[in-house]
Amino acid sequence: MKKVIIEGLSYKYPLSSRLALEDISLTIEKGEFIGIVGKNLSGKTTLCQALVGLVPHFYHGGFRGKVEVAGMNTMNYSIAQLAEKIGLVFQNPFNQISGSKLTVYEEVAFGLENLGISRPEMIERTENVLKLLDIYHLKDRNPFEISGGQMQRLAIASIVALKPEVIILDEPTSQLDPQGTNEVFRAVNQLKEQGITIIMVEHKVEKLAAYADKIILMSEGKIVDYDRPSNIFARSDLKKLGVKTPIFIQALQSLGLDKKYPGGLPVTLEDTYKLVVKEYGNDQN
Amino acid sequence: MERKNVWSLNFSTISLALIPVSVGINYVGKLFAATLKLPLWLDSIGTILAAMLAGPWIGAISGLINNVIYGITMDAVSAIYGITSAAIGITVGWLAYKGWLKNWWRTVGLGIIVALVSTIVSTPINIKFWGGQTGNIWGDALFATLMAKKASLFLASFLDELLVDLPDKIAVVLIAYIIHQTLPNRLTVLFSNNKTETL
Amino acid sequence: MKSISLYVDLDSPLHRLDPLTKISYTLVFMLIPFLIPLKSITLICLGLTLSLLWLGRVIKHIVPIISFSLFLLFTIFLIQGLFHPANEKVAFSILGLTFYQEGLEYALGLSLRFINLLCCTSIIILATKPSDLIQSLVRRGLSPRFGYVMSSVLQIIPQMSNTTQVILDAQKSRGMETEGNLFVRAKAYIPLLAPLVMSSLVSANDRSLALEVRAFNAQRKRTFLSEEKVTFTALIFRFLIFFSFISSIVWRLKQ
Repeated sequence: MKKVIIEGLSYKYPLSSRLALEDISLTIEKGEFIGIVGKNLSGKTTLCQALVGLVPHFYHGGFRGKVEVAGMNTMNYSIAQLAEKIGLVFQNPFNQISGSKLTVYEEVAFGLENLGISRPEMIERTENVLKLLDIYHLKDRNPFEISGGQMQRLAIASIVALKPEVIILDEPTSQLDPQGTNEVFRAVNQLKEQGITIIMVEHKVEKLAAYADKIILMSEGKIVDYDRPSNIFARSDLKKLGVKTPIFIQALQSLGLDKKYPGGLPVTLEDTYKLVVKEYGNDQN
Repeated sequence: MERKNVWSLNFSTISLALIPVSVGINYVGKLFAATLKLPLWLDSIGTILAAMLAGPWIGAISGLINNVIYGITMDAVSAIYGITSAAIGITVGWLAYKGWLKNWWRTVGLGIIVALVSTIVSTPINIKFWGGQTGNIWGDALFATLMAKKASLFLASFLDELLVDLPDKIAVVLIAYIIHQTLPNRLTVLFSNNKTETL
Repeated sequence: MKSISLYVDLDSPLHRLDPLTKISYTLVFMLIPFLIPLKSITLICLGLTLSLLWLGRVIKHIVPIISFSLFLLFTIFLIQGLFHPANEKVAFSILGLTFYQEGLEYALGLSLRFINLLCCTSIIILATKPSDLIQSLVRRGLSPRFGYVMSSVLQIIPQMSNTTQVILDAQKSRGMETEGNLFVRAKAYIPLLAPLVMSSLVSANDRSLALEVRAFNAQRKRTFLSEEKVTFTALIFRFLIFFSFISSIVWRLKQ
């Protein structure tokens, strides 16, 4: 079942002369974990914001094409209406805190109050989501007084509480330390296990390679490729497009193994290890 | 790209998000002025920037909320002058739209107009609540002198307030103008209302 | 620093009273001394308000609030005592300056009214949680978007002043002149303020995006996580407040 359908999407920000997105078309199935990579200004963030309706309803500007999420055409629905189906978590955890609530608990309930959810259901959803994201012990803390990783989990919790079918995360770990990063990826994986479709923009390609079903590779507002991670990360033009190659693939490439297994390179550390062991016996690490 | 009516009451989310930020800028502007020991208040830069960016109503609300918050948290006296701050917001928002920020001379002119508006609105408040004084040493000294010479209450109070407001408001408008000029267009355009077009 | 309000978090009968009742009280009893400009009435209002503050166990917090304005009140006595237009009867003389009764009485009336004002607003400031107050207004029709604006101001300002401290230190370490003559100091002002303005506008943008995707502009009736309890005592109290207000208006109209 297709959760996301994009046809011929092009978009230009106000005051800009160049297209931020050019003729984008793709589909995403329910439950998939899709990664988006590309260098800065390649259109990744604009694409994310087009999925939730921020493009065009927030920025205005010039828009063409169709974006359909969970059966809703984004042009015909307000951002608030789309928020019940698709959520977006941004890069900076600090700026996602509303500032109007004094505790983590109330902060999570903010979106539910906006949607007019009944009080008993509000409490149930808030409690569940706090436990799911492992921030229940912080529920009475002030949202500004928690760590970066905790703040980002709070941001994710606030969105998950709205029960969207698709969640987009735009570079959610770029401002976090390694511990915070791991916390976020762990949380996102749990969401995936609940059947939520995940779309994530990331520069940490090793992590993305391990979790994603497919990767969208973008450059200059266009989609260059949309395929499994093992194919995307084996491309020779990654550096030119400003995308890092995962280190184990780099290692395999330096051993010349990429020529031996074109299109079938492993994308996790474990699988890489197994392959190397298979090739060289077990006295190599 | 057309610009919606600047008097529209249909506020975008970002204009509303601007309001607490402008109150914060007012606060910080005042803090920096005190840190650098400058002889002016400089506590309305945020209100004026909000008016320049998002129009008269947002400017007015920023000014009003600014004073109400100061009143609740620091100095109860400030709250009543929310009316003055609101008037300043409306004046700047309206005249900015009318092109009063085109060059230096007009900007100074705007500063003078803002000072006059501020004085005219504050004077009746000053008279009703404190018999005409402003709480500023120089202004009240002038007030006392004029009252000793049997000048009219309104005139004495008006000049008391004007003495305090003129240098401060001209400085504030100029500073806000300069800072506004340094902001990139792609940022300032977000605060004005425009429409989606088809490509 | 969590927020910048002066709210004193206690449990008292005054705290437990719902925000709307407290707002009605404050507005009416601030207004009455203006409607009936007699010192006796002002003293009664003041006395009532002070008793409420005592009931709320916050009365000692009123002292810093009042002392903040003592100097202004002193200068009012000074100037009105010397120069009030209706001055005729001499009260006393010091150091060659003559103070008149009319001016001093007028100053007394103004000061009492002002102190009453401070005490009435303190009922809200000291004994009402800002979020409860705002929510009370939103329940009764204030746009939830404006309710948001008011709630967020209280937290965003301390956040900004924290960031400010960081910028201030960074600029100082880069050799920014915070001492020296006026011109030098004045030149430092805009380079100090401009980056802060820029970053706070960007954060306003980020925040508004986050608000949008959390259904900030949903066209539905809002619900509330907390509940508001209006007691019977509160309703009686509201009636008495209303009655006092109407009586004052009637008195005023009869003048």
